[in-house]
Amino acid sequence: MKIASQDAGKSRRARRSEPVILFSVAHQMFAVSADSVQEIRSTDSMAGAANEIAQPLLAKVHHTIERAHRKYYVVNACTHFNLPVTRPTLVLILRQLRVAVLVDKIERMAEINAVYALPRAFIGDERRWYRGLAHVADNVIPVIEPTGFLTREEFLALDRVTKAAESQREMEGAVQA
Amino acid sequence: MTGAENADRSSFVLLQVGERRFALPSEIVDELAPPVRLHTFPHTSALVAGVIVRRGHIVPVYDVAPTLLGKESPAHRFYLIAQRTFDKSGEASAIPLNGECELATAEVQPPGEGRPAYISGTLEIGEETVELLNFEALVTHQSDEPADASHPGTQS
Repeated sequence: MKIASQDAGKSRRARRSEPVILFSVAHQMFAVSADSVQEIRSTDSMAGAANEIAQPLLAKVHHTIERAHRKYYVVNACTHFNLPVTRPTLVLILRQLRVAVLVDKIERMAEINAVYALPRAFIGDERRWYRGLAHVADNVIPVIEPTGFLTREEFLALDRVTKAAESQREMEGAVQA
Repeated sequence: MTGAENADRSSFVLLQVGERRFALPSEIVDELAPPVRLHTFPHTSALVAGVIVRRGHIVPVYDVAPTLLGKESPAHRFYLIAQRTFDKSGEASAIPLNGECELATAEVQPPGEGRPAYISGTLEIGEETVELLNFEALVTHQSDEPADASHPGTQS
């Protein structure tokens, strides 16, 4: 037998709100959990800290940035989501992942009460890109899955390329010295 | 009509996509919904146009006009909400329509020769021949298969 008060408690817990950052890329709005973003910087302020990847493996990753002795791969969200390429002005530096994401602008912060599962009609890359969908005001907005920006294989391949490039630079430096 | 005759006849919802009418088995149809806002976001699933919110639920919308008509259909007036079956459970799914629906009973005749897999039969409704859709086959139809533009139409 179910006890009504327990169900009510579960319902209340399930309704706990989650702070999200609403950002836009190519006029498309997305939500990302505020907890998964470590820092938001303007692209101008990061220009000096960015290193270009000489031979990019992935169309969406052309740069790395160093933050606190950690290398982050900079993912262009337009390319990642197959959206028209715009000129991003902000970088979202993610927490716990070596990923920074180029976006157009931050719309605002919001609280969401639930993340609804992506309907099963969706069978493509979006199942990796999104945790689900959320209602924000009168909009249905995809909620980003931070691990969806780069797969494990993509990380490994990028690590190989950037390490090889660093080794080459070190050798060239040693020869010049 | 006798009860025995009725037993052989099933119930169908006739729906209008573009200028053509098709039929779906009535048991998979939930309702006809008004043209609420379509929410779109990036994805890579063929045929899925976006989602609508209906009775508090997020419902995927399948754009079936290019498959059925070989072209985009004009402005949508309604959404037909039907159940798509996944494993043992269903998912409410919407298709945009251009006109109101009609309920009809008819006997199912075999589909015409060479018709696509999403046409599972034909119905004689008055003087009109209406093709019966297999909803699952329709919404999973691959876009590289030939579109259905060449079909001469169903008005007899």
